[in-house]
Amino acid sequence: MKINVNYIARVEGEGSVNLDIKDGILKDLKLNIWEPPRFFEGFLFKRRFDEVPDIVARICGICPVSHMTTAIRALEKALGFSPSPEIIKIRKIMTLSQIIASNLIHIYMLAFPDYKGLESISDMLPKFKSEIKRLIRLKEVVNNLTALFGGRPLHPVVMVVGGFTKLPSRDMIGKMIKGLESIKTDAVETLKMVSELPFPKFKNKSEYVAVHSSSGYAINEGLLVSTNGIKVKEDEYYSVFKENEVSYSHAKMTSIKGRGSFMVGALARLNLKFDKLNGNTKRAAKDAGFSVPDFNPFHNNIAQAIEVVHGINECIELLDSLTLKDHEIKVNMKEGEGIAVTEAPRGLLCHHYVLNKRGMVEKANIITPTSHNFMNLEESLKKLVKKYIHENKKEIVLKCEMLVRAYDPCFSCSVH
Amino acid sequence: MVNGNKKKLRLGFFKYSCCAGCEFQVIYFQEHVIEVLENFDILYCRMVTSGGTPEGPFDISLVEGTITESWQVDELKKIRERSKYLFAIGSCAINGGIPAIKSTLPELEIEKRVYTDLSTIHSIRPNAISAYVRVDGDIKGCPPGDRDLYEALTSVLSGKKPYFLEYSVCVECKLKGNICVLVAYKMPCMGPVTNAGCGALCPSNNRACYACWGPMKQPNASALARQFEFMGISPEDIFRKFTLFGSVTTEFRKASELYED
Repeated sequence: MKINVNYIARVEGEGSVNLDIKDGILKDLKLNIWEPPRFFEGFLFKRRFDEVPDIVARICGICPVSHMTTAIRALEKALGFSPSPEIIKIRKIMTLSQIIASNLIHIYMLAFPDYKGLESISDMLPKFKSEIKRLIRLKEVVNNLTALFGGRPLHPVVMVVGGFTKLPSRDMIGKMIKGLESIKTDAVETLKMVSELPFPKFKNKSEYVAVHSSSGYAINEGLLVSTNGIKVKEDEYYSVFKENEVSYSHAKMTSIKGRGSFMVGALARLNLKFDKLNGNTKRAAKDAGFSVPDFNPFHNNIAQAIEVVHGINECIELLDSLTLKDHEIKVNMKEGEGIAVTEAPRGLLCHHYVLNKRGMVEKANIITPTSHNFMNLEESLKKLVKKYIHENKKEIVLKCEMLVRAYDPCFSCSVH
Repeated sequence: MVNGNKKKLRLGFFKYSCCAGCEFQVIYFQEHVIEVLENFDILYCRMVTSGGTPEGPFDISLVEGTITESWQVDELKKIRERSKYLFAIGSCAINGGIPAIKSTLPELEIEKRVYTDLSTIHSIRPNAISAYVRVDGDIKGCPPGDRDLYEALTSVLSGKKPYFLEYSVCVECKLKGNICVLVAYKMPCMGPVTNAGCGALCPSNNRACYACWGPMKQPNASALARQFEFMGISPEDIFRKFTLFGSVTTEFRKASELYED
């Protein structure tokens, strides 16, 4: 029996799962990411460093801030520029706002319908109108937070290499803090809602990888660590990870040298740094029955909801601590090379640039979370199909789709 | 949003090569989310629903993304035939957007920088959807603006011709009382040739417009390019300005071809 789930719905971009079952045995399974390539790394060649963030934002409509922040950090390293502590804080607010927004969309619009036997968010009306309204309340405030420092929530314009071209007033910060305070209960309600969903009982003991720091819940900067003992600086990325082309997919597949697959994203982050969450969040997570280690990839949705609670709390603290002193955007042009690895909503994101002395890109390499998860997702799918192999075709297809969605892949990002 | 005939209109959303940001903008349409869900039957949109059919027929189709593979052209033509109204949404579909930067260099040069094995790559020269089918309007922007999206959807609901802004970002700066960043601060601002709709976002935030909404109607792009040259900007920098967004448009080609290497 050949099963082709062509064009998986409710994920970002275009991908299919193709599997072959013979006499109750899984013969073959492939995740074919057929999203058309746009060749970002190809056409970034000979573009100037200061337009790179605006270009790479367009890799992804869900996580443009993450691509911009990662590119900006890599370019600043290449140019020998060190941002001020204030700029570092604002960038963390920006990426946290992105993670919260992305996790919310994934929880409510992409994953939730699966657990209620629905096909889409449209079907959630009228029964789940209060849930949709809660999503709108949450998303509104979080979008406004991204726009507060970025000018607009999607493809922001204020964040550039060297800092931010304009900062909000103290008054606007005050209003934003009030806004965030007002959605704290909605965030905890979201976690409660997600933790009560009927997740399949399933285990895939993955090696989790995340950015880690001894101080706080690291997002934009830290060491690359794993549950199986990796601990390296971001500059040593290529000494641990290897990106390979795959004959049946436009997305490249990344593995740990000499070992193989690994998992990144919200669940990986929580498995590696649950102790770095703020107190309120730890309590809320405990109340929701979540504890680490957790090796059920379907629980990635719970991890995302926990990060929503944490993100709102941390953004309030960060906003409170800003000095809001204007800074001049001043970066000196020079030849150089820089690598930055950050936590995008879906996990580890690596940008690498080589600049010539006129600030033009000589080489660009971008490795996205879904490329990091690709091999692990395929392995997970194989395990899942074996578990449900005696179910009917419809059930196998649905389970495969649900697992793909639980990983929250972004095929547009992965191919770019 | 009022739907006079009460019957839900059939909406199709199609994605080609892009970031899917337009689709997100529609799914999450600020305070209008519930109105959209109540007035439109989302018949096809892969990011929203696992059900639905791409066969149509559609009362309104929204198409995002640049055309970069030939199967997309075939499908797009079918969608046009099955749609009463077809709108291009976002810069990628309207003017090629960021993916069309690829058109500034020979394709193979670019593709070889990304893949060593090109046997499964079937890309064609990137282009806007209007190169292949007639469109009933452009919902401009990157990301698209709420105003134009609302205008397109309500126009289809009420059966009127949508009105889209046809002037430059400069007009929005004047309306806001901004100091001109081009004249006063000598920033290479693309505002004079870029379609309005963003509310002069970049100049209001101390930076030059980078044309993410694409060219306005009949801009004098070569005159602005010459102004940049007069300001001491290098030919290659001028070329990059007019090839970031809208590199495949005749409007911006008039400027970029003057400074091509």
